[in-house]
Amino acid sequence: MGASKKESVEVDKKKKNSKKNQPPKKEKHDTEESVLAQKLEDTATDYKELSADDDSEDYKSVGESEAGDGESSGDEGIHNTGSSEGLAIDGHSEDSEPDQGAEESDSSEDEVAPRNTVGDVPLEWYRDEKHIGYDIAGKKIKKKERQDKLDSFLANIDDSKNWRKIYDDYNDEEVELTKEETKLVRRMLKGKAPHADFDPYVPYVDWFKWEDAKHPLSNAPEPKSRFIPSKWEAKKVLGLVRAIRKGYIKFDKPKEEPRFYMLWGDDASSSEKTGHLSYIPAPKPNLPGHEESYNPSLEYIPTQEEINSYQLMDEEDRPKFIPKRFTSLRSIPAYENAVKDSFERCLDLYLCPRIRKKRINIDPESLKPKLPSRKDLRPYPATCYLEYRGHTDAVMSISTEASGQWIASGSSDGTVRLWEVETCRCIKVWEFGEIVQYVAWNPLPELPILAVTVGQDVFLLNSGLGNEEIQRKVKELLQVETPTAPVDSGNKVSGWSWLQDDEHEGIRLRHFKAVYSVEWHRKGDYFSTVMPAGDSKAILIHQLSKKFTQRHPFKLHGLPVSAVFHPTRSIFFVSTKKNVRVYDLLKQKLIKKLETGLREVSSISIHPAGDNVIVGSRDGKLCWFDMDLSSKPYKVLKCHPKDITNVAFHRSYPLFASCSDDCTAYVFHGTVYSDLNQNPLIVPLEILRGHAISNGRGVLDCKFHPRQPWLFTAGADSLIKLYCH
Amino acid sequence: MGTAMDMDGDVEERRVQVRFITKLKPPFKVPNTSIAIPANLTRLGLSTIVNSLLKAADDEWESQPFDFLIDGELVRLPLEQFLLAKGISAEKVLEIEYTRAVVLKKEDEPSLHDDWVSAVDGSCPRFILTGCYDNLGRVWKAAGECTHILEGHGGAITSVSVVNSEGTDSVTVATASKDETLRLWKFDTEEHLDQPSKIRAFKILRGHNASVQSVAAEASGSMICSGSWDCTINLWRTNKSDTEGDLVSIKKRKVKNKAEESQLEGEALSTLVGHTQCVSSVYWPERNTIYSASWDHSVRRWDVEMGKDLSNIFCGKALHCLHVGGEGSALIAAGGSDPILRVWDPRKPGTSAPIYQFSSHNSWISACKWHSESLFHLLSASYDGKLMLWDLRTVWPLAIIDSHEDKVLCADWWKGDSVISGGVDSKLRISSGVSVL
Repeated sequence: MGASKKESVEVDKKKKNSKKNQPPKKEKHDTEESVLAQKLEDTATDYKELSADDDSEDYKSVGESEAGDGESSGDEGIHNTGSSEGLAIDGHSEDSEPDQGAEESDSSEDEVAPRNTVGDVPLEWYRDEKHIGYDIAGKKIKKKERQDKLDSFLANIDDSKNWRKIYDDYNDEEVELTKEETKLVRRMLKGKAPHADFDPYVPYVDWFKWEDAKHPLSNAPEPKSRFIPSKWEAKKVLGLVRAIRKGYIKFDKPKEEPRFYMLWGDDASSSEKTGHLSYIPAPKPNLPGHEESYNPSLEYIPTQEEINSYQLMDEEDRPKFIPKRFTSLRSIPAYENAVKDSFERCLDLYLCPRIRKKRINIDPESLKPKLPSRKDLRPYPATCYLEYRGHTDAVMSISTEASGQWIASGSSDGTVRLWEVETCRCIKVWEFGEIVQYVAWNPLPELPILAVTVGQDVFLLNSGLGNEEIQRKVKELLQVETPTAPVDSGNKVSGWSWLQDDEHEGIRLRHFKAVYSVEWHRKGDYFSTVMPAGDSKAILIHQLSKKFTQRHPFKLHGLPVSAVFHPTRSIFFVSTKKNVRVYDLLKQKLIKKLETGLREVSSISIHPAGDNVIVGSRDGKLCWFDMDLSSKPYKVLKCHPKDITNVAFHRSYPLFASCSDDCTAYVFHGTVYSDLNQNPLIVPLEILRGHAISNGRGVLDCKFHPRQPWLFTAGADSLIKLYCH
Repeated sequence: MGTAMDMDGDVEERRVQVRFITKLKPPFKVPNTSIAIPANLTRLGLSTIVNSLLKAADDEWESQPFDFLIDGELVRLPLEQFLLAKGISAEKVLEIEYTRAVVLKKEDEPSLHDDWVSAVDGSCPRFILTGCYDNLGRVWKAAGECTHILEGHGGAITSVSVVNSEGTDSVTVATASKDETLRLWKFDTEEHLDQPSKIRAFKILRGHNASVQSVAAEASGSMICSGSWDCTINLWRTNKSDTEGDLVSIKKRKVKNKAEESQLEGEALSTLVGHTQCVSSVYWPERNTIYSASWDHSVRRWDVEMGKDLSNIFCGKALHCLHVGGEGSALIAAGGSDPILRVWDPRKPGTSAPIYQFSSHNSWISACKWHSESLFHLLSASYDGKLMLWDLRTVWPLAIIDSHEDKVLCADWWKGDSVISGGVDSKLRISSGVSVL
């Protein structure tokens, strides 16, 4: 009976254990359990009759059943010894865990102390040993000899009681379940209480009821304080209310603690937060690399050649550390620079106090001005389609007629040519035999007159365009009735004279020095001429209708380069080599002086609205002046590597151009806003190439077509090119 | 079939099933059966196949080039690539339409002028009218045969137009010139003279304030319009019986009686104002509609009665030439200060983008003309010295005439199968035998 009980316990344990601490082994336990249950089931079927008997005998005298069992066990006792045991061993040794014994070891309710004292260790440790453990005296417990499978099987067949035998791995012995134990197991399987004498249906006795339970434990009356409001509490509340009303107590929201914080603090910010002098940590040296190892790989070791080459280097560039190889750590010599280094370090600490440098982290791209795309600024001249061929030497100057149908060009081959823009046909040629410096169309479409400067003369030519009426008018205008010999003809130096020129059917305006340029007033009656060598009479203003000449009444500071009229108002711009002076012609006074800051101004052009001026210089710089803004340039564009020969504004499109001796012309977009707060927008658009260099000179003049976004360029290679959009 | 058989040799080649169809008349028809041809054939290969098919039917057949259309587009690539590019399946039987290829057969002797030939008109098949920078207009019966010289302008002639060519004895033509006038001339084309006869204008039209850039006659010939550098378009009556014109002419005649007896003077009937720059080209296809192109980058369609512009196509480039024709006589072709010939369809709503752009030229386009009968063919002349023949169904030029030595200033069709052109080389070139239809 003891054995039977033992097994039940074992089953119980297994359940517990499987739940407890060995999840990976759970399955195995389960299988084991099921095996065991199965075995018991089997035996149950075998013993149907017996169980029936048992049931009936359940509550009969135990002694009787015991006696019966005892008999039966006694009958089979002889067979039991070997065969069945072996089978049981096999069954267990194959699929059971060796740690069964361990489980059993912690059972406290075992009546018999385990023979084996190995403790709670996996039994497989002893699998290959001769012994299974040690007894209480420390002696090895020898393994018993095992039955082979066949024997155990036969024993199982022969012995009907063999199912009761269970092999105990831990103690290496076979245990036979007693009848009582099997009964216990059977009851448990049925889900009943294991002990037969436990009655689950005993009547309930309520110990916590007594007869006078309705009476309270104390019969004292309720104290008064329970139902009178507390005076002190009321005072306290009143105080709080007052404090709230007066604002002593504020109901702020609880400050939200940042969920995550830097465990060790941010060293940069923490030092800043502190109000007092901040500690600036010394810069950390770089971590040593492989080459600083005492025994680096060979590829780090410089060859003798390399070491020699270091000697040739500048001390700054020389590598600070030359890797060396030492076979062992103890062969490393003392550091020869130790004193020097620490001295320098001290010097460094003493002489070079560290300061905190604020470094701004800005993307350099974002600092670039946001210029609109070139595509959005179309149209602008880009491609050369037409060439005007005919001149035999450098074309010095070009001028477009007001309608844009004709252009005129003056060349150093001594001719002035008149071209049809559309077809490149040369309509007319005037021969002068001397370098033609400058040509300018009269801005009025009904007065097709050309002003041409040749040497000391300014010629006013009839272009021969227009209908008879216009021609008549022009011829009338170009008639000098009384050739005005200079008033002071005796004094030859200071003279100019209006003469009739029959050869070219025009007027010859003789100056006393070489005339550089001629510019028309917008109304087409006045024009100004510039004689750089003319001293006080360098700039003259002529009136065509009256054949009258007057001197520019202001003193010039420097050599004059160019003089232009304001496109809308009576303002006159005179540029000398350094500055541009702006005069009001009506009030006869100086309005402004634009300081270019350039070495030598070569050309000037006025924006058609009149408030902006561009100035080109001989050092390749182009200055944009916004006259409302300042007398200093608003923008200086340094784009040409060589002299800028001319600059030009377009009359209607927001374009301007500069041409240079480097054989290129640059086209820019230049929007001037009517809003005074907005500065002009300048965008470089295109570099126009195509001219060839000739005698060191490139493009000598550029002019925009008056109505189309086209640019004419006059080259020293005797060509005029038209760049179209 | 010989070449086709030869090509059979290469087994690995891909083949496509095709059927040749045509709108040509019977001698050009091939059997309407589908045949398999190598997929890598070019136009030449296809042409050879069609010619051999035709030769099989008719022994006397002489080979001639054909052009091939698949889905209304001319084949200009090897067949395989073409199908790939257009996404046409080669699985089913492909229908290839063929037409006679446009070839230049003959280049006539150039007709020499004394100066640049600036204008040419070939709308009358009996003669060619040219305008020249030597202020003279000329009438050519054929290549090199000048019959009349129109004398009187004080400036280069910029544009010429045949006004009325109904009667043989009195053909009316109009010329525009840089001397700010237009002149009307009458002559008899049937005159036979050894020397070209010099004739004077019967009517001088004054009214423009700047060079007249172009002239166009209305279909019936009773009116002409002219575009000028003064940004206006003027309309003029051409007949003598015009009362208004007569009054003016009588007055003027009295003044100028001694100088020119027979010359009338006319004033503009009305002026169309709207362009902001030189009106470089006008065209008057219907009684009530005038098309004009200008340097202000716009093409306008004017209602003559109302004197207002109905529609305005903005191009972005200064325009030099304009012609209307093609499908439904409605497509506007225009060229200007860039090498692209553009074709607009004004009937397309909501867009002013050109439907075709031809960009094989290298320089400004100086002239463009639709073929009067064909729906697809178009001629363009450029400052790069080339004339190009375009078919709307392909982006490549059908033919390039490269006979001029310098800029070509003007070009026109003549007799439906010749291309006439004049340029800076002072020659009138006639390329005949251009079989467009």
